[in-house]
Amino acid sequence: MAEYDTFINKNFEDLKDEKEIVGVIRDLSPGKKKYKCLCAKFIVSKDPNKYPDRLWIRLGRGQLVKDHPCSVKIVEILKPY
Amino acid sequence: MTYKYFIDNREYIEALRKSGDLVDVMQEVDWDLELGAIVRRVCEKKGPAPFFHKIKDYPGFRAFGAPIATWRRLAVVLGLSPDASIPDIVEEWRRRTSGPAYKPEIIDKKDAPCKEVIIMGDEVDVFELPAPMVHDGDGGRYIGTWHFVVAKDEETGFVNWGMYRLAIFDEKTLVGPVLPFSDMGRIFYQKYEPFNKPMPVAIVIGPDPLSALASLAPTPLPEPEFTGQLMGEPVKLVKCETCDLYVPATAEIILEGELLPNVRLEEAPFGEYTGYRTSPRDKRNVYRIKAITMRKNAIMTVSNMGVPVDEGQLLRSFTLAMDMEQLLKSQGLPVTGVYMWPESTHHLLVIGVKPVYSNIAQQVGSLVLGSKAAPWFHIVVVVDDQTDVYSLDDVIHAICTKWHPVRGTILMREGVGTPLNPFASPEERFSQRAPKVILDCTFPLDWPKPLVPIKVSFNNVYPEEIKKKVLENWKAYGFKD
Repeated sequence: MAEYDTFINKNFEDLKDEKEIVGVIRDLSPGKKKYKCLCAKFIVSKDPNKYPDRLWIRLGRGQLVKDHPCSVKIVEILKPY
Repeated sequence: MTYKYFIDNREYIEALRKSGDLVDVMQEVDWDLELGAIVRRVCEKKGPAPFFHKIKDYPGFRAFGAPIATWRRLAVVLGLSPDASIPDIVEEWRRRTSGPAYKPEIIDKKDAPCKEVIIMGDEVDVFELPAPMVHDGDGGRYIGTWHFVVAKDEETGFVNWGMYRLAIFDEKTLVGPVLPFSDMGRIFYQKYEPFNKPMPVAIVIGPDPLSALASLAPTPLPEPEFTGQLMGEPVKLVKCETCDLYVPATAEIILEGELLPNVRLEEAPFGEYTGYRTSPRDKRNVYRIKAITMRKNAIMTVSNMGVPVDEGQLLRSFTLAMDMEQLLKSQGLPVTGVYMWPESTHHLLVIGVKPVYSNIAQQVGSLVLGSKAAPWFHIVVVVDDQTDVYSLDDVIHAICTKWHPVRGTILMREGVGTPLNPFASPEERFSQRAPKVILDCTFPLDWPKPLVPIKVSFNNVYPEEIKKKVLENWKAYGFKD
């Protein structure tokens, strides 16, 4: 299971469940490239077991929503620019 | 005249080791938070600078934390005793900045230590450098915390060195804000972005201490010449591999690239100089890196911004106050001293004046609040010449006894602010506006003389002969100091 996180500038409750999002996720795999950002299309589920990979949510000032791990399906990796 | 200075951080580290202002950390530390936590604690304890010899995942690299986060280290940088007082440091700064400026000396690539390793094109990968995750919750690994960005106005030839924070986005991409009122912002937003032109940049990580100081101090001079003024001789620069920019030859790591026009990617949050994470994750400027050049066994420099005191707060406060003093004196105003406590996160400026005419507080306060540096502070405290601007005790006493909350408050409801002001509303931060205030801590001159309160202090209420006798006999009375 890969682990990622993403930042949202709103409340966790307002995060759209099961909708395709175009945004930035960070790869949390250990090693030199930890925290590499990826522009991607992805679908988030608030059910931590629905998709194979883990997604942690951080709020706009970096607060980790640790009580609510989510799962994520990456649909497509996009070019950043 | 050449002043005492360190040609690179390696010489400076050795000097700090000798003065007892450095700790060699031989145990391996993790770049992921552990290193940052150590540097943060050092800042909060005002402790010696940590020099990390082993970094997890990055054999061969070293890191230098909190490079100039104390007055002692700033004194060493300026060739003074580490015990030098703040007024002594101020005097040395005045001495150097009143001397001649020197154009930089360009040296050959073969003589430039920063060219010992050269990585170009597809081989470029900034993850091969030990950029730390400085604080938990930061939006990325900040490779640029004690560094500067070199940019040039191609039309005028004006060169700017400025410290603009930089995070890693991916192998060849960095992100960070370029504020429109900054020198680099003025060049980029007027000369490059409107024409969809990428702007060449060079990012200098681990510059020698005076080049670093020059990059964050306000000055009308191009920073390479200002560095020469601080050194008392030309700074040695070398040409970049991929563009027509020049960088300090003894710096540790150089990233060459371009600031991209009309491209923005997510950046932040980040622990900021105010001691908060205020600006949210948002789309900000994008740098594409095309080359890395560096010294062998390069030393990454790490400043950890947060609650005071880190070097950003100390050095910006120091140099902003010096700049404002110069501005006020250039107009012939009767200024007795200007100071900013680093603990104010350079938000509070104290100006000492001889109150020789009415409304002088309004005059000096308005001048500094209308200056180019004004976005960085919003409180101006004007005290009289009986108040020592360097003494917190004295200034607090003046505020609490001489400032009239109604008559003495001069409010400017709208001024230029920054997106980082914690006290500002989200809307004010977004539009970079901030209110400002001048606190007039002088007694009105039109009060009848017999009604003016008299300050009761050792210096003020005893005859000279009594003061002299007491001072001469102080130890004889049995006091140690």
